[in-house]
Amino acid sequence: MTALLILFMTVLATTFAGFFAPARTTKALTLLGLVAAGVGLALDWGTTFQAFEGLYLLDPFAQGFTLVMIVGGVLALLADCDVHERRGWPPFEYYALVAFAVLGGHVMAATLHLGVVIVGLEVLSIPLYALAASRRDELGYEASLKYFLLGAVAAAIFLYGLALYFGATGGFVLGVAGEGLIYSAAVMMLLAGLAFKTALVPFHWWTPDVYQGSPTPVTLFMATAVKAAAFAAFARVLASVGLGGPVFYALAALVLLTVFWGNLAAMVQGEAKRMLAYSSVAHAGYIAVALFGPNPGPAMGYYLLAYALSTGLAFAVLTQLDEGRGVRLGELAGLWSRSPLLGLGWTVALLSLAGLPPLVGFWGKYLVFLEAARGGQYLLVALALFAAVIAAYYYLKLLAAALFARAEKAAKVTLSGSTPVGIALATLLVVLLGVLPGLGYGLFTAAAALPK
Amino acid sequence: MIHVTIFLPLVFGVLALLRPTGARALGLLGAAVTLVLGLFGYAAFLDGASAAYSAPLLAEAGVYYAVAWDGVGAVLMLAVVITTFLALLAARDVPPAMVGLTLMMESGLIGLLAAQDLVLFYVFFEATLIPSLLMLGLFGGAGRIRALVKFAIFTLVGSLLMLAGILALRYLGGAPSFLLADLADHPLGGVAGRWAFAAFLLAFMVKTPLFPLHVWLPDFHAENHPSGLADAMGTLYKVGLFGLFRWTLPLFPEAFALFQPWLLALAALTALGAAWTAYAQTDWKRLLAYGALSHMGVGALGLFSGTPEGAVGAIYLLAASGVYTGGLFLFAGGLHRRFGTLDLRPTSGLAKSAPGLAALGLILVLAMVGLPGLSGFPGEFMNLLGVWQASPVWTFVGFLAVIAAAAYALGAYQQIFHNAPDKPAPDLDAVEWQWGALAVLTVVFMGVYPKLFTGPLLTAAETLVAAMGGGR
Repeated sequence: MTALLILFMTVLATTFAGFFAPARTTKALTLLGLVAAGVGLALDWGTTFQAFEGLYLLDPFAQGFTLVMIVGGVLALLADCDVHERRGWPPFEYYALVAFAVLGGHVMAATLHLGVVIVGLEVLSIPLYALAASRRDELGYEASLKYFLLGAVAAAIFLYGLALYFGATGGFVLGVAGEGLIYSAAVMMLLAGLAFKTALVPFHWWTPDVYQGSPTPVTLFMATAVKAAAFAAFARVLASVGLGGPVFYALAALVLLTVFWGNLAAMVQGEAKRMLAYSSVAHAGYIAVALFGPNPGPAMGYYLLAYALSTGLAFAVLTQLDEGRGVRLGELAGLWSRSPLLGLGWTVALLSLAGLPPLVGFWGKYLVFLEAARGGQYLLVALALFAAVIAAYYYLKLLAAALFARAEKAAKVTLSGSTPVGIALATLLVVLLGVLPGLGYGLFTAAAALPK
Repeated sequence: MIHVTIFLPLVFGVLALLRPTGARALGLLGAAVTLVLGLFGYAAFLDGASAAYSAPLLAEAGVYYAVAWDGVGAVLMLAVVITTFLALLAARDVPPAMVGLTLMMESGLIGLLAAQDLVLFYVFFEATLIPSLLMLGLFGGAGRIRALVKFAIFTLVGSLLMLAGILALRYLGGAPSFLLADLADHPLGGVAGRWAFAAFLLAFMVKTPLFPLHVWLPDFHAENHPSGLADAMGTLYKVGLFGLFRWTLPLFPEAFALFQPWLLALAALTALGAAWTAYAQTDWKRLLAYGALSHMGVGALGLFSGTPEGAVGAIYLLAASGVYTGGLFLFAGGLHRRFGTLDLRPTSGLAKSAPGLAALGLILVLAMVGLPGLSGFPGEFMNLLGVWQASPVWTFVGFLAVIAAAAYALGAYQQIFHNAPDKPAPDLDAVEWQWGALAVLTVVFMGVYPKLFTGPLLTAAETLVAAMGGGR
């Protein structure tokens, strides 16, 4: 409960602080609030807490996923950079909206009531529509509008599923067994609605455009925190309905389509943000692989943390290079000599995303595949791993573009403000949690089985 | 001490990356200390200390940091520490970052040889790929990106599918953890066993390498830095035979018996085909790449024969080849420094002006050819002895490959050192004398006193053959 209250207070404080104080203060306030919320989570780590007659359920599962959202939010705040600030971006609303979105995500994760899920979903989504357009340029408007229209459709599908769910079970709370055509339709629509937000193929069409058009720190936030929130709800719905019959095949199809299409489409991109957007689609597939296991919570949570750190790091590096039109692969050349910290961060992030040990991304992959193997899905594991080879190809391409290509113009990139802290911290964590995987996984194994 | 041996090079490697000006000194110091530690480790191992240590790394998922020396790991570890030191000594005009990456690779290699947990082995195996890729990508030739992608994709196709095999092996076989001892108690048979075996086989065939998964190898060597440092480390990284010996054959005895005739055929084809191709090469590095490939084929023949002699021969050949092939790559680096090319043709008649260089080249080449008394011979002999018991036909093919080695290796030697007209060049300098002497010493010692190494290897090989149900 502490975490929820702290997040709520943060939202209120940052919304109004901007009118009286410079944006820098709002940023500090938001960071403080997010870290305090993390501490609040840590104090009650591993325990279950209920409030509002069960509408709010802070179990270890929700704690793990909220932690990932906080990590994503903190990285997004740390990475917003002076390159943009000189042009009056980000405005103070940026920080308040990030806090709103984390609050929404937390609510989505910490409930079994579908009505509360939709409230959380909207509190999460609406700030994002604004954030996508916050740079006030054509690309941002386009991204925002696309995100809004498709997000609204997704929410509508989810709501329709919710209505059918009520019709089939007589309630809004997950975990009531149901049967029949209406119940199946309800489940499918709920999952489809959430699959939009998690960006599983074929519900991913918005992802590349929105990720590319949004300001890079916003993209960072979408790729990390938003994905964690959406997957929390997705996993809860799936845990309550079970993996029988059509749901199993639907999920298997989603996973395989996602890992193959996401990785194949990423291969042919010429712009780094778009490439990473497709990569984030593919990673959604890998996260979903864990859902085939008997107890997906810890593996998913760990994968999300690993992925949030790695992809967050990659986007944080891109933030420093993005002049508002994205980053062509050729513009990455000579990154190491332009700024060693960016070069190191980029290398570590990409190798981790490619799943090479001893970086945290490897253990994420290992754990989700282990979970699926426990569930007996060896063929799925082999196919998904095969898709990871395709992924390795374009991560190498990105790495080669930055490190191995000789640069013609090598203007130094100077980092200032909170940026070097954010990048150094994320790099350190990606390596440290990779060398000592028990450190991070221990957090998530506190999470017991998902309540059915 | 085993932990120090594994991680000391990594520490020195990071230091060398951070301090480019002192990289060479740091690198030599790190490699020298590791060499001494390795020698002491081997001596202690011969006295019966396996230095076994185990601690949970990810206990909930059954992963342990479990390391120990057994016969195979210890012998190959010696080859790694010796060759790394040789390589760092010989390659003196390389970019400083390469020294750091070399030491990082050494750490990974020693770790994967010591690992007693399959996932830990996998972690070291894959982690070694990172410095290897960086070395090729940062310091390679004009076609390095192509070579890099080829190398990475081949390696990853193999190893990622192996990861699926690893998970299947444990959960279908019912082992409580990924520790070698646990896995060996629960070998996996049936159809699932065959698939998992195929996944392991794929990974290690890429890294042996065996036909038709060898195509990354010539490019990898041809495009790497001309000093030969990356090539020597790359040669050590070809741990496929080791992976088969420790992690594949004992865990899938049933599937191996089924695949054995095909594997023998593939190995023989690799040995002969690569020797044939080597003969046609005009570039030092490509010639060495194919020559080493042919020898790995001979080693694989021995290992797949399912006899203790063959298995010992395979690992001994692997260890010896690490030293002499690595040495030859460094030797080629020395030629490149003199002439600025790795082509065999424009350099000739060197023996007159550089007799020391010629002698060093001759000894390394003869070790490769398998002259008795040098390090290549015991391994090849035992390999063929083993194959003879399994299949006389393939032994004949193996013999042909070994004979062909004389043709391509000595042919190249003659081309450079004895053909007219003379092309004068400076003889060995002080540093080259140092590493040359050390290399020759190792090659001769491994040739005249193999017993020091084959004793422990034989114990391991007999355990392996017992696990495979007596072979055949």
